[in-house]
Amino acid sequence: METARNLKSEHSSNFPAIFMRLSNTFWKMNQYPLLKWVMLIIGLPVYVISFFIYLFKRKNDTHKQLRQDLAAELAQADVKGQLIDKHIEQLKRKHSFFGQNVSEQQTNQEAEKLAEAEFQKLLEEKVAEMMMLNSEERLSFASTMQSLIRQPLFVALTLIPGVLLYLLILLYFNPYIKYIFERLISSLFVIIGVAFFVFTILYISPFDPAANILGVTATKEQIAAFNQIYGLDQPYWAQLWQAITGIFTFDLGSSFAGNEDVIDSIARKIPITLILTFIALLLAVVVAIPIGIISATKSNSFLDYTLMFIALIGLSIPNFWQGLIFILTFSIELKWLPATFTPGNWLSIIMPAVVLGTGLMASIARMTRSSTLEVINEDYIITARAKGLSERHILWRHAFGNALIPIITVIGLMFGGMLGGAAVTEKVFNISGIGSYIVDKQFIPDIPSIMGGVVYIAITISIVNLLIDIMYAFIDPRIRSKMKQY
Amino acid sequence: MSTPKQSFMKKYALKATSEYAQANFTLVTSAALTFIFLIAGIDFSQMAVKPVLFSVFIAYAFFTLIQAFITYKVKRDLNQEGEIQRSTRAWGYVQLLSILTGNIFTASFAISLIKKRKTPQYIFAQFMVMAQVFVIAVSALNLFKPYVADTFLTGMFALIAILVFQLIVLFLIVKEKQQPNTPKWKLTVGMMLLLISFTGNLFALALGLFMLLEVFSSNQSTIDKWYNIWEKIAGNMTSMLGMFFIVFIFSISVCSYWTFDYDMAIENNYAAILQSPSLAYPLGTDNFGRDLFSRIIFGARISLIVGVLSTLIPFVIGGILGAISGYYGKRTDNILMRLLDILYAIPGILLAIVIIAAFGSNTVTLIIALSVGSIPTYARTMRANVLMLSNMEYVISARALGSSNLSIIFKQIVPNSMAPMIVKATLTIGGAVIATSSLSYLGLGIEPHIPEWGNILKVGSAYLESHSYLAIYPGLAIIGLVLSFNFLGDGLRDALDPKLD
Repeated sequence: METARNLKSEHSSNFPAIFMRLSNTFWKMNQYPLLKWVMLIIGLPVYVISFFIYLFKRKNDTHKQLRQDLAAELAQADVKGQLIDKHIEQLKRKHSFFGQNVSEQQTNQEAEKLAEAEFQKLLEEKVAEMMMLNSEERLSFASTMQSLIRQPLFVALTLIPGVLLYLLILLYFNPYIKYIFERLISSLFVIIGVAFFVFTILYISPFDPAANILGVTATKEQIAAFNQIYGLDQPYWAQLWQAITGIFTFDLGSSFAGNEDVIDSIARKIPITLILTFIALLLAVVVAIPIGIISATKSNSFLDYTLMFIALIGLSIPNFWQGLIFILTFSIELKWLPATFTPGNWLSIIMPAVVLGTGLMASIARMTRSSTLEVINEDYIITARAKGLSERHILWRHAFGNALIPIITVIGLMFGGMLGGAAVTEKVFNISGIGSYIVDKQFIPDIPSIMGGVVYIAITISIVNLLIDIMYAFIDPRIRSKMKQY
Repeated sequence: MSTPKQSFMKKYALKATSEYAQANFTLVTSAALTFIFLIAGIDFSQMAVKPVLFSVFIAYAFFTLIQAFITYKVKRDLNQEGEIQRSTRAWGYVQLLSILTGNIFTASFAISLIKKRKTPQYIFAQFMVMAQVFVIAVSALNLFKPYVADTFLTGMFALIAILVFQLIVLFLIVKEKQQPNTPKWKLTVGMMLLLISFTGNLFALALGLFMLLEVFSSNQSTIDKWYNIWEKIAGNMTSMLGMFFIVFIFSISVCSYWTFDYDMAIENNYAAILQSPSLAYPLGTDNFGRDLFSRIIFGARISLIVGVLSTLIPFVIGGILGAISGYYGKRTDNILMRLLDILYAIPGILLAIVIIAAFGSNTVTLIIALSVGSIPTYARTMRANVLMLSNMEYVISARALGSSNLSIIFKQIVPNSMAPMIVKATLTIGGAVIATSSLSYLGLGIEPHIPEWGNILKVGSAYLESHSYLAIYPGLAIIGLVLSFNFLGDGLRDALDPKLD
């Protein structure tokens, strides 16, 4: 139905191409309930204007007339009576098969209901058929709007009130842009959700930051003054609104303890955490992927078992214990590396990065092995081998690219865990990053600082996952084709 | 005169026989352990040997040599005859003695070598006995202490009595012949096994349940189904070893109620501060003179409880949400999954920190905090399963027969999607154990006065330079437990994966 409509309108096009596309995209978008509502809200003026045009056009609509004629025609041929008889017959057989005892009247009622539904369906089909023959369109509000948007004059006239609507439709022209746009919107939703969740949990906490900071000797007036300064005396929704807008305007006020600007502190602490995480990530990828591939190509050998056993140990080792053992071995016993992190000394970031990257390294190595093993048993690899390609060529040209897709997924999934796990590693190596900042602030609990830290980490993770998803969309042909058919 | 089949079997005997791979694995791990004891047994600063550790090294080296010899014999047998000879299998009895040194690897290999036709019951019974022996041996270390718990003697005698019973069960299983009728003793013995599994010996529980299943189930296919799953797990040596360690830890933490003295782990004893390992204090004492060995044993309890509960809660909640979301689809699915995405966007440990910040650090908050973070992963796993299953023919036929939605979800879909969930749960218990100890280490987990592995480590980390063993031993315990869960999870995945059938 939909394709037929598109085809037809494209053939009979005497409108500029871009408006044709605008109108077609509008039609597609209108199929999705959520989008329909969004468009209605942001383009309300355009909808109102179109509605009047629709009311005007409906007066001389052929569809209604046609429908009445056809209904009369069908009624004359006693189609309905036949349908009722058919359904009574069917119901009786069904009842006797299941051994049910149903009264005559009930059966008749049921049959009538079924027959009525079928009759309406039949009627609709006939009408549609006739309309197709006469190459007419059934007038509905959506089709009216669609045909209006096709006309440059209408768009030009409603450009100012409908600019948002038209921009939205323009975004949906390209499947890639549409995909990225939708991903962005859902990330935004998630971030607001995270802020809401974290704030609410801290809000319902039984602890009183004022009492914790001012001490047990604080008077009632002091506590009230503290609450007033930090806006803690305001109602829940006001505080929540302030927190969420604060996230996006980079103004979270000052922390309860120490009275520093929260955003300032976070901005000072996030870079070192990110640097640490990225070095760990890089290290993990560089070490683990070759290990996984070696394991897969020599599967079930002694080397494979050993490597996978080490990987499993890497997965089972707690970060902080590994950090302690590293400090004990490399700093205290061997005196090769400094035990704590000092900014500017690149030697001192080696141990934290290795410790933080171990878990990811192990996961990537295991994932690389299993996905490479899966890929090299596929038919097309056998074909490549049968063609006489060298093993090396097969591995790198044909197998590796496809094996990489699940590995990237694992990296995306683990990245968040790593940013969270950085809190522990930072504590062990005495790095003043965002993780240890959150841990330090949680004893009070310092609501703006904790919320800011967690939400900005969640934002970072969302951005990384967004980039990975977009990367997929360009790499993976399966996702690409799925994206285009909406 | 060999048939083609025999010659084929002979040609591939080396690859097809599981004993050969196991022999190699055992040899390597045993050699690695021997090497560790060698390093630990020599005091490098004074170039002198530490008598206790060095004698352990000698014992390990002896059994490693035997293992090397057995491996060689197995290889030669397989190459020449195509199957392992009786004389080679007899060496298993010699190797069985290595259980006296506590080398679980060689001992479990010996068990699988001795018998040619290995039923899962046989392997489980053997591991049951071994776990019991280990529990008794570890509990017996308390004999060297200045004093023991009041219930120590009763507890020990009960444990030994149970061991004797288990040996009888083992004997019955070894002598059992294939026969159509289930022998009568199985009912009594099965009941008894269930009864003794209150000591935490889960091997006994599994064995007892299977015996009762054999007695009561009239449906042979149910028995066969369970038997096949068992056979696969029992045939996987690493997953059995993982399960052994978990059962051992579980059993010792149950038995420690009777055989260990809690005061040893929490009462300050200023006469014995920071002592090096000795017989009275097998792993030394900490800065308050508390026995590290007892503390680690009591810490196992907390780790297991928190690990299992914080896996069970999200398993149930996430599972239900995932099932609803996957079955009803459309809007329900969309809304539920978007809400869970919010939880999923916060890294687990940060979410736990936030919840603990709000409600204070204690065990209950910790369990809830860890549970909330892993709800989305379970929901996603369950949802994917349900999406796949709800298009299966048997679900459609159930619907055609007029079953209600709830009955379809709980009778058709949930039981069939349990396998991946169980595997996932086993693999994440390890993560929960790590998270628990990490948070305790940060001072956000279990209350500091409770002996928990993370808390013990936190104390130990302050003495890293002078008394590093305080930080090393609890860490080894954590790794051991987590590694075991990971081994078991991998084994379960192989056993339950329908793709491999």
